This record gives sequence, C-alpha cells and structure tokens, in this order.
Amino acid sequence: MRSRKKAPIWAWLVVSSAAVFFALPMIAMARFAFQRVPVALLGRDTILKRWTLDGLFDMFSDPDFRPALWLSIRIALLTVVATFLIMLPTALWVNTRAARYRSLVEVATLMPYVVPPIALVVGAGGAFRDIAPWFLRSDYSLVPFYVILAMPFTFRSLDAGLRAIDLRTLLDAARSLGASTPRALVRIVVPNMTSALSGSAFLTITVVLGEFTIASLFLKPTLPLYMSYSQGRNPQGALGLAVLMLLFTTLAFFAASRLREKGRRSTREAIGVLP
Amino acid sequence: MPVLPLTGGHRTGSPLRRTPRLALSETIGLLPFFTLVAVFLAWPTFTLFRMAFERTADSEVPAMREAITGTYLDSFVYTMKLSALSALLGAVIGAILTAAVVRIEHPRWIRNAVSSFSGVAANLGGIPLAFAFLAALGTQGLVTKLLDWGGIDLIGAGFTISNFAGITVVYLYFQIPLMFLVLLPSFEGLRPVWREAAVNLGATPLRYWRHVGFPLLSPALLGGFLLLFANAFSAYATAYALSSGGAKLIPVQIRFFLQGNTITGKGNLGYAMAAWMIIIMIVTMGAYLVLRRRAERWQR
Repeated sequence: MRSRKKAPIWAWLVVSSAAVFFALPMIAMARFAFQRVPVALLGRDTILKRWTLDGLFDMFSDPDFRPALWLSIRIALLTVVATFLIMLPTALWVNTRAARYRSLVEVATLMPYVVPPIALVVGAGGAFRDIAPWFLRSDYSLVPFYVILAMPFTFRSLDAGLRAIDLRTLLDAARSLGASTPRALVRIVVPNMTSALSGSAFLTITVVLGEFTIASLFLKPTLPLYMSYSQGRNPQGALGLAVLMLLFTTLAFFAASRLREKGRRSTREAIGVLP
Repeated sequence: MPVLPLTGGHRTGSPLRRTPRLALSETIGLLPFFTLVAVFLAWPTFTLFRMAFERTADSEVPAMREAITGTYLDSFVYTMKLSALSALLGAVIGAILTAAVVRIEHPRWIRNAVSSFSGVAANLGGIPLAFAFLAALGTQGLVTKLLDWGGIDLIGAGFTISNFAGITVVYLYFQIPLMFLVLLPSFEGLRPVWREAAVNLGATPLRYWRHVGFPLLSPALLGGFLLLFANAFSAYATAYALSSGGAKLIPVQIRFFLQGNTITGKGNLGYAMAAWMIIIMIVTMGAYLVLRRRAERWQR
C-alpha cells in the first residue's frame, strides 16, 4: 500500500482493546506471583507494597524442583539431538536424492495435527504396555514423542534452510574438488545452515518445555508437571515459575524466528508455524 | 507411490543426479524418519483404533459405538459446542483484528509487534495459560475484582473460569492470534488496485466488501474457522488445569476413562473417544488444507 493515509479510529480502538485483553492475564499472573497482597486488599495505598520474589525462591529450594528442572533439560537436549539425527538427513534427502518422496514426507510431518497429543499418548500407552513396558517406565520414553510433536516446525525450518542455500551447487563444487558426499555434507552444507539448525533447536526446546499432556499421562515428573502439582503447595512459586517459563519461551521463539528471517524467507514463512 | 527410478528427474546435469544409484542410497536417509513415524505415530494410532473396536465390560457393542451414546455423546456435543463457539468468536474477532492491523500503516512496528506476539500466543497453552487466567478471572482474580469495582459482578452472573463460558474465554487467548496468522497473508494479498477499481466503478465500501473483499477472503475465513475448531477440540492441558481434571470435555474425559480402566472395565471407551477425535481431526484439518490452498491462490 503506497498512500500514507491515517488509520481510522476504529482500527486503533480494536488494536488497543486487543492489547488490553492479551496483557491483563499476564499482568494478573505476574502480580499474583510477585506481590503478597490479597486481591481483596488491593487499593491505592497497597499497590506498591510487599512485592517480593520469595515465592519463587521458596520453589527453588524445594527438593522436588531441581530434579524436575534437570529432567526437562535432559529431555530437551536429547530431543534436539534426536531431531537433528533424524530430521536433518530427512530434509537433506528430500532436497537431493529422494525428491520424489517430498510430498509423502511433508504429509507425514503434519500428522501430529491429525493425531493430537492426548490421542497419541493414549495409543502409545496401549501399544507399548504389553510389548515393551520397560520403555514406558523410562523417563526418556518422552523423547521420540517430542521429536514427533516438534516435527511440523523442525522439518519446515530445516527444509527452508536447505532451500535457501544452493545445495546442489555446493555439493557439486565440493565433490568436484574431491570431497566425498558425506564429507561435503558435514564440512560444507551443515555449516551453511547454522541458522536453520539453531532455529529448529529453539523451537524444539519450547515444545519440550511447554509439553504437559504426554508427560502427565506417562507420569514423568517434568517441569510443567511439577508446576501443575506445586500450585497447591506454593501457588506464588508456581505462578512465578509460569511467568519465567513464558518469558523463556517467548525469547526462544523470537530467536527462532529471527534466525529464520536471516535465511531470507518471507515474513509469512518466518511466522509460518501454521499447519 | 513412485514406480520407476528413471522418472526421478534429470533436470540438471549435476553429477549428483547422474550418479547411478541404488534404491537403497536413495532412501537410506529417510529410513530413520519413517521408522520413527511408523513406531511412535502409526503403530500407536493403529493400536488405538484396534482397541476402540473392542467391547467394554457389560456392553453388547464395540466401544466405538458405545462412545457415541448417552452421556458420552453428551460429552462430544458439549466439546463440539465449545469448540465451535470458541472458533467462531476467535475467527470473527481475529478477522476484525487483522482488518484493523492492516489499516494501521504507521507506525510500522505495530504490525510486526502483533505478528510476533501472535506467533507466540497461538502456540501458548498448557499450564501457564491456565494460571494466567486463574489469576485474572478466578474468584480472587484481578480482573474479577476490577470488574466488581466497575459494578459488574462476574461470579454473581454465574461465570466460573472452569465452566463453558470460562473455558471459551481462555481459549480465545490462543484462537484469536491463530486466526490472525491465518488471515494476515490473505488481507495483505487484497490489492489496493482492486478496491480503487471498484470505487472508480461507483462501488461504496460496503459493496466492495460484499462483492470483492469478502468472496476473496471467504476460503481463508472458513479454513481458519476449521483450524480453530480442531485446535480447540484437541486442547487438553489448559482445560485440565482449569477444571482440575473435572471438565466434561472429551480430551479430559479420555484421561478419566483410561485411569478408571481397572475399576470400571470401561477403559476402551477412552480409546474410542480418542479414535473419534482423530476422525474429527482428519475431517476438519483436511478441509482446512483444501481451503488454504484455495486462499493462497490470490496471495501472489
């Protein structure tokens, strides 16, 4: 649009009411987490009183907190590694040798939208309970399912990264200089797509740190589960943790989309987390 | 399914393409991926449907059939109503928001800020969202209190954060941004020349919208509605946390039946509900993808 017309009043009204709707729950959560004044006593003379981080610190010193945090970190890192090991070859092959399987792979990566987490976890319970109960007992049984949940984001991010570089020319150049294909991939292609790789790593981490459904039905004490259960014992701490996790998720998400924009994609693809 | 290796495409003269290849080298990189999908997605889904067709204790019909009778059917209807309402409100408010954001051309950061925020909020859900709304609209919530000062008694009006109206409002927090993400490319694709052409031919803004704008946007609007419906129907964590596991919603009910498995012998009902959920997802997401392809026709 080229004209510099002034936006009508209604547009500003709509955007500002939306801002209020979206800001208020966050403000309310932060206030509850960090201010020790009951809502009933809130007023002009109490609004600035008794702001504290004690709830959060109480939570940090809770003996169950550290194991939960540590478990979530381990699962997040393993999921990132597994995602790279599985999705990077997939994206590479789809862009080179196995181009005719592209649509099949694309459809498969969208399946988590058709089989939502609650259905997936129910089916997985039924499938593994009799044949491989040891698998369900392991805390790491979450990893393959988290790779699948993150697949719609990670495949697209890696695929976009590969499309942004001239993969065929790079490979041909490396090979005509004497590099074997694996060597060319590791030494030339992967270093050229670091932003796509780190972008998909950030997206994977946000998926893992926010996931509740599967962890809850598999009874794995991850951070979101801890947050949910500690609400009764230490509500301030639980909400404080929720604020921290939202901040972290937001930062990771921005990092991921910033990295994706670096790959010269259009804004539509930069925000393209839509199925 | 591909048949002849020769049709793979010899478009470029690159050595990579010319290398005579074995079928194995062509697919070996896809093997881990398809193994993962087969073992951890396809097999669980297959198992789910297999168990859904078995019978539960003291029942004559498969669980799949039983799940759509009596109180179970009520749960489906309840979930569908809630999903439809939250999708409808999300779609309408999302469309109004998109129209407003597109009209605000400067300062330019507004559009970027709304887009970035929507990217985050559309994927938000789970426990933190439930906590935020409990702190805002719970019985001791900040907004409840603010409204009370303003003379609006939410609790007295029968509003609870865990009832139908409450969950619908909470879901709007991710539904509106999701609709914005769906619609923004379509709104940006409406070229000003079309509007100018319509105005030059004597159309009022209303007529322009009725005969040009709305028909062009309708696939994106309908597709967005379906996506939002599917999104609400499958949401679990937020509803679970808001209702402490007691909601009548299908995703929460699935858990209830699975955990009551040994006591009631009705565990297969959980599988059947999940199976029906997948069927509903296939229908709505399939229609969404078709409509999205339609909507994208105008965007280039």
